[in-house]
Amino acid sequence: MSIEINGPFAVKILTTFIKEELAKFGFTRGILGLSGGLDSTVCATLAARALGPKNVIGLIMPYGQSYPRDVEDAKMAARRLKIKAPVIDIAPMVDAYFMKYPTDSRVLRGNKMARERMSILYDHSVRENALILGTSNKTELLIGYGTIHGDMACAINPLGDLYKTQIRQLAAYLKVPKAILAKRPTAGLWPGQTDEGEIGLTYADVDKILYALVDERTSAKEAIARGFKKKQVKKIMAMIKASEFKRQLPPIAKISARSIGHDFLYPYDWDK
Amino acid sequence: MKIALAQIAPVLGDVRKNLEAHLQIIDKAVKEKADLVVFPELSLTGYRLRDLVETVALDPEKAREIKELKARSRDAAVVFGFVEEKQSEKGLFYNAAAFCAKGRILHIHRKVFLPTFGLFEELRFFAQGRNIQSFATPWGKMGILICRDFLHLNAGYLLFAGGAETMIVISAAPGRGFSEGKGFASSRMWELMGEAMGRFAQMSVLYVNRVGFEDGIAFAGGSFVYSPMGKLLAKAAYFERELLILEIDLDDVRRARKNWPFKRDDKPEVTLEILQRIIHEYRD
Repeated sequence: MSIEINGPFAVKILTTFIKEELAKFGFTRGILGLSGGLDSTVCATLAARALGPKNVIGLIMPYGQSYPRDVEDAKMAARRLKIKAPVIDIAPMVDAYFMKYPTDSRVLRGNKMARERMSILYDHSVRENALILGTSNKTELLIGYGTIHGDMACAINPLGDLYKTQIRQLAAYLKVPKAILAKRPTAGLWPGQTDEGEIGLTYADVDKILYALVDERTSAKEAIARGFKKKQVKKIMAMIKASEFKRQLPPIAKISARSIGHDFLYPYDWDK
Repeated sequence: MKIALAQIAPVLGDVRKNLEAHLQIIDKAVKEKADLVVFPELSLTGYRLRDLVETVALDPEKAREIKELKARSRDAAVVFGFVEEKQSEKGLFYNAAAFCAKGRILHIHRKVFLPTFGLFEELRFFAQGRNIQSFATPWGKMGILICRDFLHLNAGYLLFAGGAETMIVISAAPGRGFSEGKGFASSRMWELMGEAMGRFAQMSVLYVNRVGFEDGIAFAGGSFVYSPMGKLLAKAAYFERELLILEIDLDDVRRARKNWPFKRDDKPEVTLEILQRIIHEYRD
């Protein structure tokens, strides 16, 4: 086992997944948020291959003029993929809310923006008759680096079992534009923000530790014995635990004889 | 003997649709003059059923779907997977496989080793089979194993000891892990056992795995046939629907067992004696 991926194989599995899942739910079209970053560009590339460019919509949803370069990169990626990519500015909706409930918290503002984008995506999903493709990767999902009911919300997620490092490998194989490949990952919560700055570790380091803990099932102790820094392993373990609630449906208080999530157990693909 | 391995992607929970797909594939295989058509595990129902198990269960003596498959077995023998619930065993659901030939069911195997760990939860929904038995067919003695059964050394041995010359394994094995080749890393495990069983149990090993997705899980395909000398005779693509048809030579078993008399030299009574001692020690 290794964190190295096999590019052609990953593309085959993920494009088949996108095509077959959509078909099961009666869709031929997919929609996703296009940020100009690596994950959404890779997801859009896979979707265009799986469904044909005409069947993919990449919504570009900037907050005003905060990140003009990302908007340009997203447009450029969409042009190359030949997918439709309308721009919807979320500033009027977000500003209206914060006029009434002001805050200085960058996290609160970031979360609100992520949920505004989610709300627009779900609205356009119905308007366009297109299923929402998620772009959260395995690293973000495991350490909880995402907004619950925001950027984590989707109908199916083709990228959720690939670490950020692996998405980067896949992007190189898919020949994603260099401008996007070379960018430092950011959630775009505020200008100058980078994921790695906020997490306090590089993705390369996080992914190696996650790969050991999750894929290879080592204990924290074993991971440290292998040479990973104790402080980093502890921090990552803490992040995984603290974000478990983002990876599950909320618990339902069991009171009846048969309860959703406890003993009412059907496949997601029920009758599909 | 001409065999057809049907590497299909069953529709989850829709017996009707799956039956139609079975009948179409049988027609196709019969046109190619196949003697035997093998479908994967739970081919009539799909795999990740959970609470749907009871709604798709069939009584092999009564179900119309099984009558249709039995009728079609006059042209070619058929092995398929289904959920079994007999009138005489109400409320017990088995992950089962039937071998039909000449319009009759010759054998039903109920999966003995039900994986229940990690992403598997079979013991939560299925009853456990209690028998691993070789049975007579028009092409010599055969035995059936279902997916995880095959990975238990004793299951293959019991078919060998019981006199089977052909081992039929039907599977719904998910793909796990990247490899350097074209398939999942986990496919190697099945191929290794196929080769080992071919070579050391000296049987033809027919392994049919399904494809398609259920709840995000990809089934790996890569169905294969090993000869009684442990030689790979044919292999289906990973992850693609395919009907693999090939001729196998039933005399290969004789050739293999003549050259390396593992079967002649086997000592089931010694095995049994030792097993009894081991079991006795458990009780202490």
